[in-house]
Formats: sequence, structure tokens, C-alpha cells
Amino acid sequence: MKGFLPLFLPFFIPRALFSHYRRHPLQLVALAIMILLATMLWTGVSHLTSQARASLNQSERAVAERKQVVRDDGQALVVEDFVSLRLAGVCVMPWLEVTPETGNRLVGIDPLAAHCFGDGVETGAFQALDQPLDGKPFVDIHSAAGISARESRLFLLVPEIAQATDLPSNYHLKIFSTSPDTGELGDSFLLNLEALGVLVLLITALLLRSVYLLGLAQRRDSFALLHRFGVSPGQVQRWLVLEILVLALVCVVPGVWLGRWLAAGLGSGFGQALDGLFDIPLYAGQGQGWLTPVLVMLAVVVIACLGDLLLLRFRERLSLSVLARAGLAMVLLTAGLVIAWLAPSLPWVFIAVALVFAGAGWLTPTAVTHLAHWRAGRSKASLARWRYRELAVLVRRLTLPLVALQFALAMVLAVQALVTTFEDTFDRWLAQRLEAAYYIEVPAGADSDKAADWLVSQQASAPGLQWHRVIRGHAQLPDAGSQQVDVFAITPVGSLIRGWTLLEAADRPWETLGAGEGIMINEQLARRENIGVGDSVQLRLGDQPKAMPVLGVYPDYGRPVGEVLVNGETLPETFDIRFESLSVTPGEPGITHITDALQQIWGVEALSMRDNGTIRELATGVFDQTFALTRAMTLLTLILAASALLMMGWVFFSTRAWYFRLLVVWGLPQREVAGQLLRLALLLTGGIAVLALPLGIWLTWVLVHRINPLAFGWSLPMAVYPAFWLELGILSLAIGLSIAALMRRQLGKPAVAPVSASALTGGER
Amino acid sequence: MTESLLAVRGLSKHFVSGNEAVQVIEKLSFTLGQGESLALTGRSGSGKSTLLNLLCGLELPDAGTIALCDQVFEAGGAAARRRAAAWSALRRQHIGVVFQEANLMPALSLLENVRLRAQLAGRDPANSGDWLARLGIGELAQRYPDQVSGGQRQRAALAMVFAMEPALMLADEPTGSLDRHTADEVTRVLFDLQARHGCGLILATHDAELAAGCQQHLDLGHLSNV
Repeated sequence: MKGFLPLFLPFFIPRALFSHYRRHPLQLVALAIMILLATMLWTGVSHLTSQARASLNQSERAVAERKQVVRDDGQALVVEDFVSLRLAGVCVMPWLEVTPETGNRLVGIDPLAAHCFGDGVETGAFQALDQPLDGKPFVDIHSAAGISARESRLFLLVPEIAQATDLPSNYHLKIFSTSPDTGELGDSFLLNLEALGVLVLLITALLLRSVYLLGLAQRRDSFALLHRFGVSPGQVQRWLVLEILVLALVCVVPGVWLGRWLAAGLGSGFGQALDGLFDIPLYAGQGQGWLTPVLVMLAVVVIACLGDLLLLRFRERLSLSVLARAGLAMVLLTAGLVIAWLAPSLPWVFIAVALVFAGAGWLTPTAVTHLAHWRAGRSKASLARWRYRELAVLVRRLTLPLVALQFALAMVLAVQALVTTFEDTFDRWLAQRLEAAYYIEVPAGADSDKAADWLVSQQASAPGLQWHRVIRGHAQLPDAGSQQVDVFAITPVGSLIRGWTLLEAADRPWETLGAGEGIMINEQLARRENIGVGDSVQLRLGDQPKAMPVLGVYPDYGRPVGEVLVNGETLPETFDIRFESLSVTPGEPGITHITDALQQIWGVEALSMRDNGTIRELATGVFDQTFALTRAMTLLTLILAASALLMMGWVFFSTRAWYFRLLVVWGLPQREVAGQLLRLALLLTGGIAVLALPLGIWLTWVLVHRINPLAFGWSLPMAVYPAFWLELGILSLAIGLSIAALMRRQLGKPAVAPVSASALTGGER
Repeated sequence: MTESLLAVRGLSKHFVSGNEAVQVIEKLSFTLGQGESLALTGRSGSGKSTLLNLLCGLELPDAGTIALCDQVFEAGGAAARRRAAAWSALRRQHIGVVFQEANLMPALSLLENVRLRAQLAGRDPANSGDWLARLGIGELAQRYPDQVSGGQRQRAALAMVFAMEPALMLADEPTGSLDRHTADEVTRVLFDLQARHGCGLILATHDAELAAGCQQHLDLGHLSNV
């Protein structure tokens, strides 16, 4: 026989090995589905993140501040201005914004003129010019001019390199921006999405491993038989590697395709919101390519499934006792918690998160097992004692899917809390920044004092009128290396601003600011320069250095730069005003009454005015969509983890079916046995939900209080949502109920007793 | 003749295998007195295990009557739920079952297994250690099933049954997985305790020597002998 064996080995080994899946086809299907879903989920998350990043980058380029030419006399630009500028050799591109009687705003562009922007045409809004102009939102300027418009306005844009000296007299340069920038808030969310992607990869790897190891355990007898037939363990291992590689390849490719499909389906909504916000097609439909996710998932599948085989020797050397493992887990956990608290930079926080998850993942099964044994020891009723002992067995045997579920639950808790906090905070912040109904730019050269005087005169006769004037410019902080900060000067310090949320505040901050006896600073500046309320800050406004106490610190989630809020009346004459605006809530007289008056006062035909309600609606649209995507992805991960536990729980419970059957033989009615089963399953999944809670809360804290401040200089308020805990708790119990229901069906069938004494190994208890 | 513990009349049972109906037991009748023992023999598939399952209510007959411990169970008689509850109560308090193996809960120690069975039967679990000692494995009380030999596990299974003080013991190949020497020891203990405590014993076995130890003999391969 020995002489023939080498001849037959190439056929004999794979046939013998794969016969397992002929006998257990469902296991193969489960493994394939798990690889497929895991790939789909991870690819979906990472594809979506890269799409979102590409889109936001594109949007940033598109709406980056550009320069426009305006008339010195503040009059609206007309075609003659375009002609005279071109005749003077200035490269200008007309940008005609038209609001038709019905429908959305359109932008009329001259594609030929756009080409004088050189490289600029490659990006953002100008990219649209390389495409046929199909009427939405960009149209040929000739078409735009022919539309019956409710409102139209001509802008003349110049390249970044244009200088004021290039312009003929009567014109000057001004910043042109199409809409508000999502800024750092978008970056923050992308960072969190990427962290979510890594967590999803970890969870799916754990799930894959659990399903594969279950099959491997069932094949041990076959391996032993092959060994007796003279097949070396090395040969078996090589075939196993080949087997999993083929299976992975077969499942990963459609998984990547499905992931991209999922991301595209979910992402189109994001694209619509983004396009709506910026009025231009910004959604970068292309995320990452095919090769990277395929290779990453192949590596993950092989490592997750065969890591033990590949590292067998190391594993033997590194095998630890339960106590030593628990000790190591405690050390990792403690180290992670301490590092997260003290981390000086982002990489340290990520290391801390990895340590805490590794520690929690190792500690949880050991802790639950010990707790179960402790409860068993204290139970006087033998049945309860048996139940707790069974729980300990279950936890040990289902360690991987349970830890995966714990991680998934913690992740969902954290992401849900983060998303809800983001939503609340962003809404509140946007509401406070856009408190006034309208935002009116003061035209260049116009006297804003006259407008302010007129508004003051109207105050008594116009119920509901609220307004303030905003002057923007720069200041230096001599004590901080002459760092430049933005100045946000407001007069009067009235009701439109007093509702702002302050992170820290002195006593009666708004009254003191109104009296010109202090300043407020944004969170970024406070964190960067370690300035707190009550500290005195040296501020150079114009040519005057002045020390002023800090009255409050306000959150400013969208801006990375330092900002100082001062009372406009305290600005010195020499302060260089960069920009002026009025924020107005018109009250009863209506906005037309005010704009007519302002046009008359300033002697202009039209005002540059923004409806803050529309801006708020558009801005929240993008984030709502992103939040919905994040929720969907985390919930999908949770569903995957729950399904894996359900499947593994069912399979494992099946191997214990005989012992439940024994209870029936011993006279326990079926209903009571089913009750024991139910309690056991609920204890298992409910316990995991409880253990996921602290991990989830900690992860929320890390995301909002550590990652955001370190990455962006601002933190979100830490909020917890017990109602959501309850939802997850109910979900966990539903998984337990499902396992119990499946098992109860199994109990109705004749149970197979363990067939040999070898089945009674240590793993059974 | 001792007072009757068990009376079986016209018991029949069939199974469906594929499209074919297989009659496993047909119109079987016998009685067992208190303290008596009966050996069930017959080739594999002759219905020994099925009969034991019928006698403890784990399976229901197609026809016939089983009278056990003053209760009468007729095929298709009382409502299924009431009948199942009555069988459960009987198994809990009066019927001890020993299988070839896997009679113990692996998550519990030998002592805890015996205590669990005694408590379920409503007996005092305090004597559980004594039962293990009587079966010669008192010093192994704290060990788990996987930490003892097959013979010791079967002794523990017998301790569990005797701790519940059964009226009837059903043993399905109780020594089938043991070596000759261990099987002899377990058999000796089994008959000794059965005789001492006066419970009825029905023993399904292939072992002629073991069957010879019983007072009655029922060969399911030759039902004409009944």
C-alpha cells in the first residue's frame, strides 16, 4: 500500500479533505456567505469612505475662495464691464447666476472664457465645462441670459494669480465663494468613517475565524485518519491553504462587487445632497479600485482562518494559561485606558483603542466564564447550577462570535452616540451661526454706519426686528508669537447672538461683552493656546495692543483657525476691515422693506443677500445623508455579527442537544427544558450586550473627546443615549430568543447521543 | 408471583423509513413484578431501544396499553399534553434510565450530577455522596465526567439512578462500551443494588452472560417466545 500511496496522493488527499463539505454542504455555504458578506461590508464601508473623501476634496476645490472683480462704486456688473475688462487684457470669466421664475438656480458660463483659468479648469466647478452643458445646473451663458428670471446677477471671476494692479481704475478684487465650506466637520466625519472601516474589518475577521474553526474542529478526526495513512501534517496544511484561498477568491470577488454596488446605492443620496449644497456636480462616484480590496480581503481571510496553522510553532511557544491570559488582557486593557487618557497624538489614541479592544476581547470570555462558575457555586438548586455551568461552556466555545458581537454592539453604540451628537451639535451650531433669517453683505465702499443708524431708528416701529452688524478682520496675539486670529466684531451684542452655547463662561458674559469689557474666543484657540475663561489675552487690533479678559469659550466646529469675538464698538479706527455684513431677522416689516431702504442708503441697485434658512437646509442635507450612511453600515455590521452568533449558537447548541434531551429523560417536561434553554440563550446574548455597554461608552468618549480634539482642535459634547442602549439590549435578547426557538425545534427531534467516549473531551465542559 | 410493577398488553410500534413502513414491535405483551429483572435481547434494529423508549414515555405506541406504577397509558388515550405530563412525572420520580454512555452532564462534577438527578426526583440530595461511595467512586466525587474512565462514568450513572430510588430501572446496553473486566464489575454492582433496593430492571443487551443474570428473558428477534 505504501508503494502506491504517492501515486494516488494528489487525488486522494483533496477528495478526502473536501469530503467534509460533501457531508456538511451547509457549512460550506455558511463559510462562503460569511466571506461574501464580510467582503461586501468592508468594501462597502471603505469604498464609501473613499468616495466621500474624494467628493469632499472635490467640493473643497470647487468652492475654494476665488477672486472676482467688483466695481468701486458698488454698482452691479453689466456686460459693458466684461467688455472693458477684456479690452484691458484682464482674463475674466463671466458667471451669471439666474433664478428662474420656477425651478432651481442656474449658472450661465462662457466655456471659452473659462480656459483662461489654465489648471483651474481641471477642478471642481470648472470640470463641468469639459462636459456638454446639459442645462443643469450649468448652462451656456447665452441660454442663461435668455431665461425669464426672477433674479439674476453677473459675477466676473479672475484667476488666483490676478492682482489688483492688473485691473483698470474703478474696479477692485474681492473674494468669491459659491457657498459655505463644510470644512473640518467633514474631515472629522471621514476620519471616523475610516476608523469604522477598520473595526468592521476586525469584526468580520473574527466572525470568519469562528465559522472556519468550527468546521476545522469537526475535521480533526479526518486529519488524524489521513496522518495514519501517511499524509504529513504539512501536506494537509498546504491543501487547507489552497482550499481557503480558492474559496476566498470565489467569494471575495463578488463580495467586492456587492460592496461597491452597496456603496454606490447608498452613496447616490450623499451625492445628491452634496450637489444640492454646492449647486454643482461634486459627487466623485469613483472610490478605490478593485485590486486593493480583493488583496486585503484575501489576506484577511487567510490570516483569520489559517493564522494558527501558519504560526503553529509560535503559538505553542506563546500558549498561555487562562490566568496568564487574563492577566495579560488586564494589562492591555489598563495600558489602553491610560494611553487613551494621556495620548499626546492621534496614533497613540489608535494604539490605545487597539489595546483596549484586544484586552476586552480576551478578558470578556474569561470574565464571563468565571462569573458563571461563581454563580454556579452559589446556586443551591442543581438545575440553576447546571445552567450556569452550561453558560460557561457556551461562552468558551462561542468566544469568537461573542466577542465579535460585543465589538459590533460597542461600535454601533459609539457610532450611534457620535452621529446623534454630531447631528444635535451641528444643528445647534448651524442654528446659532445662522440665527438671523438673512445675511446681507455690505457693498464695498458703502457706509455701514448709516445702515446701522437706520436699523436703530426702525427698532421701535418694527416689531420683531432683530439685527447686528458683523465686522471681520484680523488681529495678532503678541503673547503667542504674533499668531494671527480672525476677528469677529459684533454690534450690538443683541438677542441674535446671546443664544450661543458657550463651553465655558464667566458670570454674565454677554452683558460684559456688550459693555466692551472682554472678549470671547473659539475652542480651537482656547485649546491651542491653553487659554481659559478669566485669562487675560493681549490682542493687537490694528495698531493698538490691548489686554482683555476672556469671558467665554464658544464651540466652532467648522473652522480650524483661532477666532476672537469682540464688541464692534471697541474696535480702533485703525482696524483693517476686511468684510462687513448685517445679520437681520426682519420681523413684521418684512425683508423687502429693509433691503429697499438699504439699497437707497447705499445707493446700489441690488444687494448681495443670503437666505440663511436655505443654507441651513442644504448644509444639513449633506450631513443627514452621511449620518444615515454611517448608521446603515454599522447596523449591517451588527446584523452580520448577530447572524454569525445565531448560526454558531445554533450549531453549537445542536452539539449540546443530547444534554437537554437528558433532562427530558430525567423527567423535566419539554416546556421546562425549553425554558432552561431560553434562559441560557438570553443570559448569553443579554450578558454580551451588558458587557458591550462600557466598551461602547468608552469608545464614544474616545471619538468625541480624544480623537476630535487631537485631530481638529475641538471636541463634541459627550452625550449618551439610554434609549438606544435599550434598543440594542432588545436586539441582543431577540438573537437569544431566535437561538432558543431554533434549538427548541431541534429538541422536538430525536437527539443523537455523543457516539464515543472520545467525544467527552475537556471541551465539553 | 410478586405484585405487578409493569404490565404491557398488545403493544405495537412502527416507523416509516423512506416510503416503507417498518413494524418494529407488534402486539407485544409481558409483565414485570416488583424487584424483578427482565433481559431484552435481539439483533441490532430488533426494537430493544424502541421498547425501552415506549416504556418510559419517550415514544408513544401505535397500539396497546402500558400499566406502570398504578397508572395506565393507552395508545391514543388521554390528551397528548396530559399524557406527556404524566410520563414526565413518572420518569422524574420512578423511572431511572441508563444508556450505553453519555448519561452525565459534562459541565457538572460526578457529585453534582447525582445531586441534580436526586433533586429532580424530589429526593434528599444530601445522600448523593453516599451513593457514589457505595458504587466505589466516592473519592472521584469532585471530578468531571471527562476526568474519569468509562467504567467510572457508568458507575456514576448508576449512582444517579439509585439516588432517585426508582421503582423501575431501564438500562440500554449499560456495559456496551466497556471492556470485559469493567463490564463485569458494573454488572455486579447493578444486580447487587437492584436486588438490595427491590426495583424492577429491564435490561437491553447483546451480552448473553449479562442477560443470563436476569430473571426473565425476552428475545425481540423471536417474539413467539413471549
